[in-house]
Amino acid sequence: MTTQANGSSTRWWFGMADLAGVSLEEAALGLERVHLSIADETFNVLRAVPVTRPVSEPVRLMHHGISRLSYRSVALLGRGVNAAAAIGLQPRC
Amino acid sequence: MVLLIHGLTELESVWSYRDDPNSTYATELAAELDATPVMLRYNSGLPIHRNGGLLAQELETLLAHWPVPVENLILIGHSMGGLMIRSACHIGRQMGHQWCRCVGSCVYIGSPHDGSWLARGAHWAAANLALMPRDYLRVAGEFIDLRSDGIRNLSCGEVTPPDFEEPPLLPGVDHYVVSGLLGRSRRHPVNTLFGDALVQEPSARGDERSGWVLAAIANFPGIHHVRLAHDPKVAHQLKEWLT
Repeated sequence: MTTQANGSSTRWWFGMADLAGVSLEEAALGLERVHLSIADETFNVLRAVPVTRPVSEPVRLMHHGISRLSYRSVALLGRGVNAAAAIGLQPRC
Repeated sequence: MVLLIHGLTELESVWSYRDDPNSTYATELAAELDATPVMLRYNSGLPIHRNGGLLAQELETLLAHWPVPVENLILIGHSMGGLMIRSACHIGRQMGHQWCRCVGSCVYIGSPHDGSWLARGAHWAAANLALMPRDYLRVAGEFIDLRSDGIRNLSCGEVTPPDFEEPPLLPGVDHYVVSGLLGRSRRHPVNTLFGDALVQEPSARGDERSGWVLAAIANFPGIHHVRLAHDPKVAHQLKEWLT
């Protein structure tokens, strides 16, 4: 409760980077789930239509694969920022 | 000593008057009572009972080192700050803290003693969305559920750890309640639904709490939740009660 120390500005920025990194990772993984589950609704319709049925599953696999790769790349970037911030936030001896 | 305790996600700056940032309820009361204004800053994301315990300990240390004996400690809490006062008083009394003997008055300004409709709504939405069959709806529920322990405590106004009995108000002390309303007319349906925007009037009064004896209650139609912390009308009422 209530502490202010000299040099806390740098720690504040590391704290912000820590928060931003976690937020980026969690947001990317959350959006991936939203995106894929909404896309599944469409692919389920395409699978029910005889004309599009043969191609719906390959397209779904490709779409999901590319999407996962994109979102997880962003999540990995967030984790990297988070890890770098954690180093800066380590207590100094 | 007049201690101001802010609410959830606020800082001590919430107490400052818009037209005079150096003045607060504490400075005005202190001038009339020949007292010292003190403001607390804390991490409102922690559980209320934990912050209450920390506050109790801080007050014990502060008063032990204060240059003169404190005769009258006035605790004023806005929103979650009011719940923290109840928690700190309960813990301080249990621990046999000396500061509890100095408390003369506790003022709860827009405090959700019976919970906030918004916190209850978020709790309900998160719980129900988690049961949905679609993943995107479950993600929405998980997003709403990304709340701190402090916010969760506002669903029912919990001031103790889970499974602990509801503590009574600190005995031998005057307890005052201040609440606000969005609309200027008391009977406006918006006031019934949303109270001061976050806390409904019955919750601010603690209508569901048993055994409460309040020294006085004041309601201010047309003053919303945040404004309750720095409004001249509320200041006037506090001076009337406490000086």
